[in-house]
Amino acid sequence: MIYLDSAATTLQKPPAVPRAAAWAMSHLTTPGRGGHPPAMGAAETAFRCRQAAADLFGVPDPEQVVFTFNATHALNLAIRALVGAGDRVVISGWEHNAVTRPLHALGAEVIPARAPLFDRQAQLDAFDQALKAETKAVICTHVSNVFGFVLPVEELAGLCRRKGVPFVLDASQSAGCLPVSLEELGAAFVAMPGHKGLYGPQGTGLLLCAAGMLPPPLLAGGTGSMSALQAMPDFLPDRLEAGTHNIPGIAGLLEGLRYVRARGTERILRHEQALVRRAAARLSALPGVEVFASDAPAEQAGVLSFRAAGRDCEELGEALGRRGAALRAGLHCAPEAHRSAGTLETGTVRLSVSAFNTPAEIDRAAQLLAHILRP
Amino acid sequence: MVYYLILCRSLTYAQRTAAALERAGIGSHIFRAPRAVAGEGCGHCVKVAERNLARALQVLKRAGLSPKRIFLTEGTGDYREVQL
Repeated sequence: MIYLDSAATTLQKPPAVPRAAAWAMSHLTTPGRGGHPPAMGAAETAFRCRQAAADLFGVPDPEQVVFTFNATHALNLAIRALVGAGDRVVISGWEHNAVTRPLHALGAEVIPARAPLFDRQAQLDAFDQALKAETKAVICTHVSNVFGFVLPVEELAGLCRRKGVPFVLDASQSAGCLPVSLEELGAAFVAMPGHKGLYGPQGTGLLLCAAGMLPPPLLAGGTGSMSALQAMPDFLPDRLEAGTHNIPGIAGLLEGLRYVRARGTERILRHEQALVRRAAARLSALPGVEVFASDAPAEQAGVLSFRAAGRDCEELGEALGRRGAALRAGLHCAPEAHRSAGTLETGTVRLSVSAFNTPAEIDRAAQLLAHILRP
Repeated sequence: MVYYLILCRSLTYAQRTAAALERAGIGSHIFRAPRAVAGEGCGHCVKVAERNLARALQVLKRAGLSPKRIFLTEGTGDYREVQL
């Protein structure tokens, strides 16, 4: 199987990740639930993971690193901390449903700052125009999960700082391959999954919280702290971590973070961008295939969308899967992105890579597609 | 043996406290706060030797880590709060 769906979940992990998760299953319990070695060992693992994430993502204090089940969970927490019914929120035109659905559920007034694909300046201008004094928050993905477009989030964060608007970064596609620093961005929150570019197990995610941010909990329950009180603790991370932790996941995530740190995000990004450029070149050469690739390699991370004239993208994805290439087709839970790119009616087939993919795999996937498209 | 318990608001805070002390070469140990000192229920504390308390407090102040409360004990089950 050639796995090219890492924008959903990376399948190939560093060997230390499943090893650590399996070891945790039979040796560690839950932080704060007992003073015995399995509980204290779990506490040590959790703290090391928080510290590793804090070091990698510019968080001054590991208490500001909250474990979540995924990026969606983290985004829900961030959004509920800042947004209420009727509040004006500006988002990019490339957001995932993990952003738009919570906003919709809250009854927020959502303003998409739409700009052409791969046009960073136009994107920034669109945000500038959309930002008004009454804007409660700006929420923006770092990288489009459909097109790999790298949004100008550093400049956008600066704009938000100047206008005094809290900024939330969805780093679902960038954590592990692009520089992300909570402190340098001055963001209110950064949300990310553990199971994509951080190579952790599914069921892991992180919410990085700026100092002073104290979101309302989505879940209430035991935290192993201040147990005599019925109110949830008023400090992080306990306030947002009710219930038993996913310690096998956290143990695996710690190893994933160590892998990313050792390999280097810049090197991972270069590798992924080279693969995407290769894929764009191979796929563009096929008759009837439209590839959504940027002319400037720096503007696109390890995600590439394409569609073929007269072919249903889901059928193409299915056909590729039958032949041994795992790509995802459809709307990728991001109708806003497809609306912005004009692909809402057709959807696209998405190829997304990780540090473990090879040029040969890209070539083979392109050959398979050529075979499928042959009349 | 006389030692001090630095009561922390959370396990993670206790871990930060212990890590700051360790960086300064001060040995410490995290454990669950005895029921007698954990006023609001389940808590964690950091145990430091009597001789290290003054330096530990300096280190924690520099690190911006303020202890919630500090208790003195001789390991007999009695805990006496120390006013900071």
